[in-house]
Amino acid sequence: MSDPIPRGVRLQPDYASDAAPECRTCGAGAPVDEHFCPNCSRILALGRHGDYFAFLGLPRRLTIAPQDLEQRFRDLSRKFHPDYYYNAPPAERLASLERSSYLNDAYRTLRNPVSRIEHLLAIEGLPSAQSATGTAQVPPALLEEVFALNEELDEIREQRESGADKSALGTRLSKARQPIDRKREEHEQQLAELAARWDSQEQAPAGDRRATLEALRERLLERNYINNLLATIDREVSSLQAGDLQ
Amino acid sequence: MSHVVGIDLGTTNSLVAWVNNGVPEVIRDRSGDALVPSVVSVGEDGMVFVGREAQRRLLTSPSRTVYSVKRFMGRGIDDVRDEAALLPFGIGGEPGGVVRINVAGRDYTPPEISAFVLKELKHRAEEFFREQGEFDFEVDRAVITVPAYFNDAQRTATRDAGRIAGLEVLRIINEPTAASLAYGLDKTKRGTIAVFDLGGGTFDISILKVEDGVFQVLSTNGDTHLGGDDIDNILVQLVFKEIVARARRSLGDGGSGARGGPEASAPRPELVQAIRKAVIQAKLDLSELDDAEIIVEPSPDLPDGYRRRITRAEFEVLIEPLVERTLGPVRLALEDAGLEPRDIEEAVLVGGSTRIPLVRRKVADLFGRPPHTELNPDEVVALGAAVQADILISGRREMLLLDVTPLSLGIETMGGVTSKIILRNSTIPASGREMFTTGVDNQTAVDVHVLQGERELAADCRSLARFKLRGIPPMPAGLPRIEVQFQIDANGILSVAARELRTAVEQTIEVKPSYGLTEGEVERMLIESFEHAEADFAARLLIEARNEAETVILATGKSLRSPDLEDVARTDLKPGELDRIRAALADLEQVMTATDRELIHEKTHALNHATQHLAEVMMNRSVREALAGKNVTDV
Repeated sequence: MSDPIPRGVRLQPDYASDAAPECRTCGAGAPVDEHFCPNCSRILALGRHGDYFAFLGLPRRLTIAPQDLEQRFRDLSRKFHPDYYYNAPPAERLASLERSSYLNDAYRTLRNPVSRIEHLLAIEGLPSAQSATGTAQVPPALLEEVFALNEELDEIREQRESGADKSALGTRLSKARQPIDRKREEHEQQLAELAARWDSQEQAPAGDRRATLEALRERLLERNYINNLLATIDREVSSLQAGDLQ
Repeated sequence: MSHVVGIDLGTTNSLVAWVNNGVPEVIRDRSGDALVPSVVSVGEDGMVFVGREAQRRLLTSPSRTVYSVKRFMGRGIDDVRDEAALLPFGIGGEPGGVVRINVAGRDYTPPEISAFVLKELKHRAEEFFREQGEFDFEVDRAVITVPAYFNDAQRTATRDAGRIAGLEVLRIINEPTAASLAYGLDKTKRGTIAVFDLGGGTFDISILKVEDGVFQVLSTNGDTHLGGDDIDNILVQLVFKEIVARARRSLGDGGSGARGGPEASAPRPELVQAIRKAVIQAKLDLSELDDAEIIVEPSPDLPDGYRRRITRAEFEVLIEPLVERTLGPVRLALEDAGLEPRDIEEAVLVGGSTRIPLVRRKVADLFGRPPHTELNPDEVVALGAAVQADILISGRREMLLLDVTPLSLGIETMGGVTSKIILRNSTIPASGREMFTTGVDNQTAVDVHVLQGERELAADCRSLARFKLRGIPPMPAGLPRIEVQFQIDANGILSVAARELRTAVEQTIEVKPSYGLTEGEVERMLIESFEHAEADFAARLLIEARNEAETVILATGKSLRSPDLEDVARTDLKPGELDRIRAALADLEQVMTATDRELIHEKTHALNHATQHLAEVMMNRSVREALAGKNVTDV
């Protein structure tokens, strides 16, 4: 409140995967995707690694078999985990901690299809689809639905405050939700198609690949917007129920 | 090499275990008892008692005897004010600071009290290894368990307790996960299991996936203030209300009330503890029987005593709301794991409170299958901790525990909103990075408030620490790039590092734990604990002397009550011998409560000496009788 020192302003993370790491044990240079020093076989410091696909030894594709991902996660955990470096020198202990943490984050990110796409966009150098949420303009493809929904929500709020029948309002809310739910299903479908297209474009010209990524980002932005709309409807539903309890 | 052990530092009881040739075993005392009650009592002269001896003192010196201290670990006075009112010992501390427990005119922090329990366990283990004939019996490294739902401050407090007790804490692991390690040990298990852990003070639910020897926690949830203690409190309140009602009634009948029945407002601690002991016994009985009796013996506070029958059905109605409170966390844990109750292939019960039939029924209903009860719910956590200690020391890789952080970690941003950096149920170790810049020109410091919790507003989350990033080179606003790295290690404990990327200037960070001890405080307590080691050792010797004396007193009493005594005295004893024995007995009984160990020793020896002849005579007599009896039947 009366803090003399201002809080910081958050920035977007950067995904620089520049500087190749140097082995802290023997000083040899090592490729960024190696986990253990090719020279002395000790666990390597993480450096500024940025690619979860490469870290897990996976191609940069959006289709990943869950069992394969889990198996890789378990195998690497067995190699990196701090449990096994308890008696190691400090440099190796630190490397084990960094590498395990990074592995856990990589696994968590790639396990979920949506965060997997977000990560791909980030390492391919596209601006985040997350940053636009909240303050974003309405995506053009959603204008019609958003307009209709906002009108309906305004009316429902008004009627709720003037004490209209709750169950009727509840029915109207779930009806208002239907077109948004449909949109969301459409989007899941489109995301899946685009993901498949990306996976088939490994040899394609850079321009085509870029177009697919842009389209994926577009869909993600819309998807986030749709989720916000659904959350708004849910809030409306719960304030209706809260009114019931009083 | 010195031994490593696994320790279950419980709310009610604590245990220590080790791995003997690949098999985890609980370490017991000479009488075969594995449990050390987590009770610490301070005598009039500052002597500290731990475990069973301290538990006995709950009734005689309630205001000097601390129990359930685990509920106060890593907490502030504001968190515990309500329940502090129910406790017979003094709870204090500055607002916004750690809880202080006032015993016998001295303030102790919860880690200091827990350290006494840990030292007792350390001693027990050392005694055990010494008796095994081991040369190097020192125990100075341990894995200690905590409830999965413990936050950073509570974990740190536990680690501090270990350090104060002179133990290097190799690892803090979660109780339900430890239990799963012990449970999955004997067979090559795979599948999805739920560990339901309802202990003395805390409730945890963990959902795990086991495959290839990797025990991966998918999600965890719980309540760090829900357990057997709460069940006891319900029963204590029931009994107390009835006692007050009875007293009122007898006053209404024309009684003078001069005998001083209990007052509704402030029951004396002695009475509360006597009631607590009685209801705990009834609670235990009701896990086996359909009805039980709550019996409070008459005492100055309660001249007529108190008795009441309670059926299991009645008991279940009383505790049902508490048991229901476990279901919310279970649902959330399943949701976070992306599973339905029917996906759970095995349910494992941990913690003494899971002996309650109602709890077992609820768990069975929830998962649609009977839970596993073949493991001793009191011991399984310590066994798992021992297994983890063995993994750390041996470096064997057959088994690996991958646990999660129970609560999201974030920082306060503009407007008092929480911004999450590491999400709950992230596998640990976990790291999160956050980029900052400055808001005004030439700003050289940034204030960071670290929070733990799921709520949107910073004020609703747990404050973990505040720190200031200093030494940022003066630059126009928005230009510096300050990277703050949050690292949760495999213990679930946080550390923070920061640097300004444009100039590569490392930042100095002063982390002030909101509800913890500073490094300096832990150091000081460690030193004090060494200084007290002599007094603690003296306390132990005193207890041993008293135990020995008690054995001799009991044996003498038995001889003196023998129906043959007069006959023996007439035929076999010297004149006045019996009187000398009685005098020696009275002498010893008189010094029993003294704290002079040498005196007790001396009087014990005196009594032993005085009774030696009598004991021989009695022995010969019974042998003769036995032989004589044999002859008779033989004829």
